[in-house]
Amino acid sequence: MEFGTIEREIHIDASPEVVFDVVSRPEHLREWWPDEAEFRAEPGGAGRIGFGDPAQGRTWVQVVVVDAVPPRLFSFRWTHEEGESAAAGNSLLVVFELEPAGTGTRLRMTESGFRERGWDEAKVAAEYAEHAASWEFYLPRLSAYAARLGAGA
Amino acid sequence: MSVVVDDDLWSAVGDPTRRRMLDLLLSQGSGTATSLSEHLPVTRQAVAKHLVVLDRVGLVHATIAGREKHFRVDQSQLARAVAQLADVGAAWDSRLRRIKRIAETIQLAKDTNYETGNKH
Repeated sequence: MEFGTIEREIHIDASPEVVFDVVSRPEHLREWWPDEAEFRAEPGGAGRIGFGDPAQGRTWVQVVVVDAVPPRLFSFRWTHEEGESAAAGNSLLVVFELEPAGTGTRLRMTESGFRERGWDEAKVAAEYAEHAASWEFYLPRLSAYAARLGAGA
Repeated sequence: MSVVVDDDLWSAVGDPTRRRMLDLLLSQGSGTATSLSEHLPVTRQAVAKHLVVLDRVGLVHATIAGREKHFRVDQSQLARAVAQLADVGAAWDSRLRRIKRIAETIQLAKDTNYETGNKH
């Protein structure tokens, strides 16, 4: 592992078009990561993602879309301060690269910037992850979501 | 799955000046507050304070030689800090598993709708 970069690759039995939607659209992001997501899924689309129960004060984190080339590439920067323009050194960069593989998709994810951005952000990222890491929390949401899809919603 | 992060260790390496100090100590083998401050835009006193923080979490160890303390990086403790980045990686593993599951669910729903759609 490159010091300061996280790299992952997985195969998904779904078309690159479907996978692209899941990794890029705010309504899908909410199902696999933050509790709330507000941004335009196009280059320069700025917005925010929220973590935590709104009753106890939701934590908002800035997001800006860097590249959106359906169905091949989607990247965004996050964790920069509100009002700052996101760049190397003040934010983490997440890149999704999609490649057709058989009837499915090979999805490659890299997150970089930990070294430049500092370790505080890695810690923050891990804390956010914790909200989402539990299947006990996610399974009910996911089954409801799947049921809606099954109903043709 | 929970991600356990050592707060003190993280905040010790979270500061840019302290990271720069660790880099300098790694490249030079060892250093003193005075020698480090020569490479940094901060005073010797500030460097000494940062060294106290690094020493407290075990990232550096001091030996007295002459009139000054000489500091070295504790490689195994630094490795621990790096390993915590792996926890962030584990968080991505969970996110990617969910991405996979959602995408495959949608694909299945699409394929099914397409098949039943033909019958209408």
